[in-house]
Amino acid sequence: MIRLTGVELRRLIARRLTVIGVGGVLIITALLLFAVWRDAQPMSAAEQRQNQIYLEEAQKDWKLNGAQYQKDCEAQYQSQPDPKPSLKEFCPGPPTIDQFGKPEVVFAELMPDLLQGVSYLLVGIAFLVGASFVGAEFSSGAIGNWLTFEPRRMRVYGSKLLGGAIGFVPVAVVVVAFLTLGAFVIVDQLGNTASTTGKVWGDLNETSGRIVLMTAVGAALGGVVGVLLRHTAAAIGLVMGYLILIEGVFGSFLTKAQPWLVRLNFDAFIGHGATYWVQQCESSGGSYSCTSVEKHVSFEHGAWYLGITAVALVVLGALVFRRRDVN
Amino acid sequence: MPDLAIRTQALRKTYRTRRGKRVVAVQGLDLEVPIGGVHGFLGPNGSGKTTTIRMLLGLVRADAGTMTVFDQVVPDRLPDIVGRVGAIVESPKFFPAFSGRKNLELLADAIGAPRQRVGEVLAETSLNDRGKDKFKSYSLGMKQRLAIAATLLKEPDLLIFDEPTNGLDPAGIREIRETMRYLGQQGRTVLVSSHILAEVEQVADTVSIIGHGRLLASGTVAEVIGGSGKPTVKVALDTAAGEHAANQERATSILTSAGLSVRAEGKYLFVDGAEHSADVTRRLAQQELYVSELIPVRAGLESVFLELTADEGLGGQQ
Repeated sequence: MIRLTGVELRRLIARRLTVIGVGGVLIITALLLFAVWRDAQPMSAAEQRQNQIYLEEAQKDWKLNGAQYQKDCEAQYQSQPDPKPSLKEFCPGPPTIDQFGKPEVVFAELMPDLLQGVSYLLVGIAFLVGASFVGAEFSSGAIGNWLTFEPRRMRVYGSKLLGGAIGFVPVAVVVVAFLTLGAFVIVDQLGNTASTTGKVWGDLNETSGRIVLMTAVGAALGGVVGVLLRHTAAAIGLVMGYLILIEGVFGSFLTKAQPWLVRLNFDAFIGHGATYWVQQCESSGGSYSCTSVEKHVSFEHGAWYLGITAVALVVLGALVFRRRDVN
Repeated sequence: MPDLAIRTQALRKTYRTRRGKRVVAVQGLDLEVPIGGVHGFLGPNGSGKTTTIRMLLGLVRADAGTMTVFDQVVPDRLPDIVGRVGAIVESPKFFPAFSGRKNLELLADAIGAPRQRVGEVLAETSLNDRGKDKFKSYSLGMKQRLAIAATLLKEPDLLIFDEPTNGLDPAGIREIRETMRYLGQQGRTVLVSSHILAEVEQVADTVSIIGHGRLLASGTVAEVIGGSGKPTVKVALDTAAGEHAANQERATSILTSAGLSVRAEGKYLFVDGAEHSADVTRRLAQQELYVSELIPVRAGLESVFLELTADEGLGGQQ
């Protein structure tokens, strides 16, 4: 099994699609860092002048209408559902230069979103390469030849999934490290890293670890789908169909089902919890009103959901591969 | 030591088509392949040859029956003997974007064969110069040679070639035939399935003929040909040009009345069913018809095959 896994790893690394996929991830990561650098840049003199003009116009307007604005805002505040922000936060009063300037980039606030974004990219590419890695063997017929050299199908199956998963671990580690360290260097020069405490680093490390784990799982599940559908294009079609129909259409119509969809659980697992909103509607006295209520999916829920789904798919793939005739 | 390389008993496989219809590919096949030499596995297209080979290799599950390879029940004990079996099923299938050498290296690594063996088998199959080229750039003949090289990585005792010359040009066919003969002469067992009988007849020591998934005949080539019925002789009459047609008609009548089967082709009569060639000359001479040529026609594997498969209603597709 170890020898077979080693062979599969060598085959994965030698594939052109793997090289293109990994190269693409690295380029996109570099572009993300470029975007961070641009966001962290101080405003130019022209931008500052323009903002000063906007501020002066807003202050003039406040002088004329500020009392009315404040009154309307306080009335609106009363109708806000609990938990409410403070009145000072909701109705901040006269305009200040802070509201027109460019917010300072804070490393501790930036990184969770950046890591969440790169996690989609990494898992998506790992899944695609994993599906192609195995699907191409079926579509080319090479799997039949392979089985005449190693007829123990469970070993073959296990080695293919493990090969894909292990192959993507260093990729994910490098990408996450490159992104985190690169962003830190940029923000340290141009923004704020003072709030990056030991706890922040600890949380970022945990998130990174979960991204690496999910990337490996994504590659393995790509392999499972490759086994089940026997064609890379079919695997991509299935995933696109799922994302559009189930996550997109079904998820938006039946918002209460969101805790049972993959994406939210993925977000909950990577981000240590995730929020979503459902519409709660009620009719009273002939009127019908709806409000958006924030809900939460816990990290544990996401972890169990993803774990059970992954295991179920791997077992299904094993059962099918064990019994299926190979042409 | 087992005396059979392969044995199947009552082997059966049915497929279900996309429309749900059941198709019997192999029905009760009893096959015996002796150890050593080349064994031709013959049958028309769709007679169940490839399905049988796939079942032997564990690629397809049998519905019923038993199979042994070197006395080991397969597919259960296939892992124990897979190192002794090399196989090419239908067209060679490798990773198209990898070079021939890379494909072989991966297979060598998978079975724990030393890397130097890759160079050796490439040399044995005359692929040294093209080893670094991508598999997809190979000609069909080169692909077939690479597949043979892959089977030789294991140094197998049994080689299974399924339709190895399909799509090859005459030079390629000859090359594969010589390779099979060479392997057979080395003491290995070569099972070669084909529907091109002339090709198999030249290299096979023993043959099995199947039709509709059943065994129709089996044995050495001589036994199978010899058991096909009574001999045929080709006869030309010593007659003047103007009397040729009339004399051929008389001769046909004389021989037919003696219980022989006769058909005319040009200046020759083909006479089936005569136990001895002398019977033909004697009967004709008694009626003052004399023979200028008399050639015994040796039955070929092809005629046997056509005869057997015609009985099965297969028509001997080729």
